[in-house]
Amino acid sequence: MEIGAHTVCAGKAEGEAVVYEGPFSFMGDMDPLTGRICVPRHPLEGQSLVNKVFVFTTGKGSSAGDCAAWAARENGTMPAAIICLESEPILSGAVIITGIPTVDRPHKNPFDLIRTGDCIRVDADAGIIEITQK
Amino acid sequence: MHLTDKEKRMAGGEEGEGVRRSMELLIKLGDSFGAEKLAPISYGHISYDFCPEKFWNLMTEGLEKTSHRVTTHPSYQPEIWKEWGLPLADRWIGEHERKLETFKRLGWLRTETCAEYLLGIIPRKGDIVSMGGSCMQVANNSLFGARVDRMGILVSLAAAVCGRTPLMGLLLQENRYASHIVELKDLDVSDWTSSHYHCLGYCIGDRIPGFRPVAVNGLPPHLPFDFIRALVISMPTSGSVTLGHIVGNTPEAPTLDAACGGKRPEHVITIGKREMAETWQRLNVWENDRVDHVAFGCPHATIDEIGRIAGLLEGKKIRTSLLIGASAPVETLARQQGWAGIIEHAGGHFLPVCPSIGNPFTRRDIAGEKQARSAATNSARSAHYLATVSGVQVFFGTEEECINAAITGRWRGKVPIWK
Repeated sequence: MEIGAHTVCAGKAEGEAVVYEGPFSFMGDMDPLTGRICVPRHPLEGQSLVNKVFVFTTGKGSSAGDCAAWAARENGTMPAAIICLESEPILSGAVIITGIPTVDRPHKNPFDLIRTGDCIRVDADAGIIEITQK
Repeated sequence: MHLTDKEKRMAGGEEGEGVRRSMELLIKLGDSFGAEKLAPISYGHISYDFCPEKFWNLMTEGLEKTSHRVTTHPSYQPEIWKEWGLPLADRWIGEHERKLETFKRLGWLRTETCAEYLLGIIPRKGDIVSMGGSCMQVANNSLFGARVDRMGILVSLAAAVCGRTPLMGLLLQENRYASHIVELKDLDVSDWTSSHYHCLGYCIGDRIPGFRPVAVNGLPPHLPFDFIRALVISMPTSGSVTLGHIVGNTPEAPTLDAACGGKRPEHVITIGKREMAETWQRLNVWENDRVDHVAFGCPHATIDEIGRIAGLLEGKKIRTSLLIGASAPVETLARQQGWAGIIEHAGGHFLPVCPSIGNPFTRRDIAGEKQARSAATNSARSAHYLATVSGVQVFFGTEEECINAAITGRWRGKVPIWK
């Protein structure tokens, strides 16, 4: 199944989906050393995002989000690709600087169609999300 | 994106590799948001200490003194950390010094604060400014009516290098009207302190999906500056609101209609006693009541805040470490008043650092085995980042509760009874 989307940062990647129906910041939500969600009492606390296709609603939080993303890229702990409902400038800057294929404004609601563990291919050059395996 | 001839030359590398790379980033970011052109900035605000050295060097390579003003966010102070005996301070010295050297060579201003408006560096209504620091962005947009879009610290360096920022988002009048209204229900704010406004801002940021402006309706007009500042700066911590109109208090919101551009948004969010109590509890992340550290000054302390803290600490000794994040000029004024002396005599410290993200007492990568394991604060923003970035136990309460904790080493703070 394919879903059209808007390109935030070009590139292609695939991986296992991690789905969170809430906002995300690279600063404070993900430990750049481990790539794991580090917020106390967060529904995904401890979940690794390394090489995953991370699906969430939008960016949030500190403007140091791009610095944290840079640190994560240096450590090899970034997600493989990002799908969100609507990006915002801090998140967009972070993925453009670190070169993580990212799309937003998907034409269908990804929270109805994608579950954690599904295999997802993101072609951000063409603006296409493909669910390759449920 | 339309570029002027000069911008084409900048993007083509005629002004050096740093400018070329910075232009490339601004153009890519602007294109992803459909920006039609770049806008010149009145001034730029960056953070050299938060910026990784490799990125810093890439963007400043070949850069000459800029004709526009550039200021900076709270800095690191590794030499002072070392004097205080923080075991890993040495690690931070080299990189800090090297970046600072470039910063000074470029003729940029060492304001080293997230509250530059306290130094008299205040954009006028309508000025376009590029800024790192989500608390700077929301404060300058909301409290002074400057045009500041949301952007990351690395992007803000690119904007400062080029003296330009993509014309998009909150720089455009049509995007500055409230998309959501927050109505306060059954809340008597007559005895609220700054901490209560921090809590309300955090609660609002958490409940507004996305990054569009909000209008907060139902607060008394002409609130003290510290209160509306606390309210707006907490919003982009739990969420991404970068412009908060406080009806009757902020320049673009003399009335609710003005804040909304004459069109009533459909989305109305109501906040009452239950939401406030839940948020206050959520900001408290602790198991036992032992307090190791107390952090004030997120955002950097005003002189009034320092005066109140000095009043509470006069003649006292504290058991915890205590840090007040404040700019050097505000600290100088506090010293002149005799307040800095009172606070230091009690055992407290001043630094122009970020007491939330860059707190040397709670960061394991600075304090090593001397790391404080728990911290009390009166700021929701501080509570959030102390818990997540430093990973310590956090107590959130009023200024007075935090000072009591510093003196006794125990937390006796209570969730307020909402009236």
